[in-house]
Amino acid sequence: MTVSLGLVGFALDSAFKRSSEAGLRARMESLVYLVLAATEVSDDGALVVDDDLGDPRLGQPGSGIYAILRGARTQWSSPSTLGVKLPQTAQIRPGESDFKTSIPEYGFYAFRYGVSWKLTGDRMLPVTVTVLVDPLEIQQELKAFRTGLWRNLGVTGFIMVLAQMVLLTFGLKPLRNITRDISGIESGKLERLEDSYPKELEPLKRNLNHLLDTEKANQTRYRHALDSLAHSLKTPLSVIRSSLYSDSSSKVEVMENAVIDMQHLITTRLQRAAVSTRRSIAPAVDVKTQVDRLIQSLMRVHSQKLINPDVRIEQGLAFYGEQRDLLELTGNLLDNACKYGHGKLRFSAHSIDAEKPRVGIHVQVEDNGPGISEHEQEQLLQRGVRGDERVEGHGLGLAIVLEIVNAYNGEITIKKSDLGGACIGVSLVTV
Amino acid sequence: MRILIVEDDIDLQTSLSEILREAGYAIDVSGDGIEGLYFGEEFPLDLAIIDLGLPGMSGLELIRKLRERECKFPILILTARSEWQDKVEGLESGADDYLTKPFHPEELKARVGALLRRSAGHAQPVIELGSLKIDLVSQRVFNGEQEVDLTTYEYKVFEYLLMHPDEVVTKTVLSEHIYEEDADHDSNVIEVFVGRLRRKIDPQSNTNPIETLRGRGYRLNRQPQPA
Repeated sequence: MTVSLGLVGFALDSAFKRSSEAGLRARMESLVYLVLAATEVSDDGALVVDDDLGDPRLGQPGSGIYAILRGARTQWSSPSTLGVKLPQTAQIRPGESDFKTSIPEYGFYAFRYGVSWKLTGDRMLPVTVTVLVDPLEIQQELKAFRTGLWRNLGVTGFIMVLAQMVLLTFGLKPLRNITRDISGIESGKLERLEDSYPKELEPLKRNLNHLLDTEKANQTRYRHALDSLAHSLKTPLSVIRSSLYSDSSSKVEVMENAVIDMQHLITTRLQRAAVSTRRSIAPAVDVKTQVDRLIQSLMRVHSQKLINPDVRIEQGLAFYGEQRDLLELTGNLLDNACKYGHGKLRFSAHSIDAEKPRVGIHVQVEDNGPGISEHEQEQLLQRGVRGDERVEGHGLGLAIVLEIVNAYNGEITIKKSDLGGACIGVSLVTV
Repeated sequence: MRILIVEDDIDLQTSLSEILREAGYAIDVSGDGIEGLYFGEEFPLDLAIIDLGLPGMSGLELIRKLRERECKFPILILTARSEWQDKVEGLESGADDYLTKPFHPEELKARVGALLRRSAGHAQPVIELGSLKIDLVSQRVFNGEQEVDLTTYEYKVFEYLLMHPDEVVTKTVLSEHIYEEDADHDSNVIEVFVGRLRRKIDPQSNTNPIETLRGRGYRLNRQPQPA
């Protein structure tokens, strides 16, 4: 702002200088005509100038305005030149004129005009009229202008800077408050953003709070997962330890079982904890792209089965959650359908609320395999049972699906499909 | 069948090679991606097992490079990450199947066998050839109800020919796929194996499933040829 004010100042300054010089030139030009009007040339080429020059300053010695007439042999100077040291000016050709803003050493403004005087008998006498002006006058003018200009600009700049500071102080106060509150959260003094902020910042506050809540939930989940993992690993570890030095013939088998248990625990516990971390501000994930990737991959893996997929996805369906969760969920469902089905597979997906795509999506996977019996369904869907106690019906895959569904406050249904096998429907809520 | 294992963990590398050697495969091993790429391009391989976490060049990059360079053998990914995101990325890079660590040796053998069969175009693990039945999983051969007793190398030769039916297979190719890199190649030995194999699977010489093309090699004919 201040810089641009300065630039404006410089522009005005040079414009003013240029225009006052142009004015001066015009004045000097008219002086030339005045002098010429008062001039007579005798037939022998002598210059005779009338005393009344029309401008009293030309007759006043040292007035600052001087005129010089230069003929072929003779020269005339205005009375004002008395006692003033003037620069020598050369003649120029008739019909030409020039204007010099300052002659080195003397500093005068000079305007020269060449004319040709007609004498008797078709003789021509070239005469050059030179008007010299002391720069003092114009410099004073310029100085006065500059003083006024810079004073005004300075006041304006100061007011603007002041206004800006006031605006920033008041305008950014809510942001400073948020910064202060966030550092409060970092230092543990605050749990979330509680202050009321201007309504422009409310979405930011909401998102930050949401992020904080999710982070906390994730942290808790991880802690629980690690905690229960550590606990549950102790049992097989103690089995291994006690079998190490025993002479029992079933030692190897006992230890192998313990290792398998441990493997299973690590996979289930950690994977579930990792899978169910929801991100709060998620970009849209195109469902079709991801499902197509999965189906391409699965057809590669199960290529000996000649899988014939029937994919029905609502046009432009997007999932507003973690891409990883979507891949994990549909990956497991589709993988099961490929494994247990006999080649036929149907995938359908649509949004829960067609009006509000952010609400969530519904996904359904069907196959023509043996299906899931009612007894198995009950076991699979029992809630409140700890992960490791839950019966792993369709392998680990469905257990992970359940974790994801829980993390998204969704629902899972198991039915019989008209294809003949299982039909698993899952809804994921993303708001 | 010759398999390349690219795995940087020495213990796992050793145990993988032991399991697969025992299952009758010729094994080449490499500890990093750059060497793996060289082996993949230079050796006549039938399959590669590639760990995703490799020094020098990541497993995914190695698979992509191998596919770029027209290496068509099946690739099995070995990974500690069991999430679909990783599996899909691996398969998209050009692998054919994945196996998550830790795995059971039987699972590994089953996957390797299935991949080899698939690349030869056999959907089922049991191949029928005239009156012969070859179970590629248990590696047993039956002539009618009678089991044919084959030695390891006889079976290896037979398996390789079964995976390349109706193709001319030279003795050099056979020995390259049956023996490992540093083994002593002797094409006379191949002749001996083929001769014994023929007598065992076709004692009366009436179906003649393995045809000798003089100066060129052998060909396993799916349709029986007149003797």
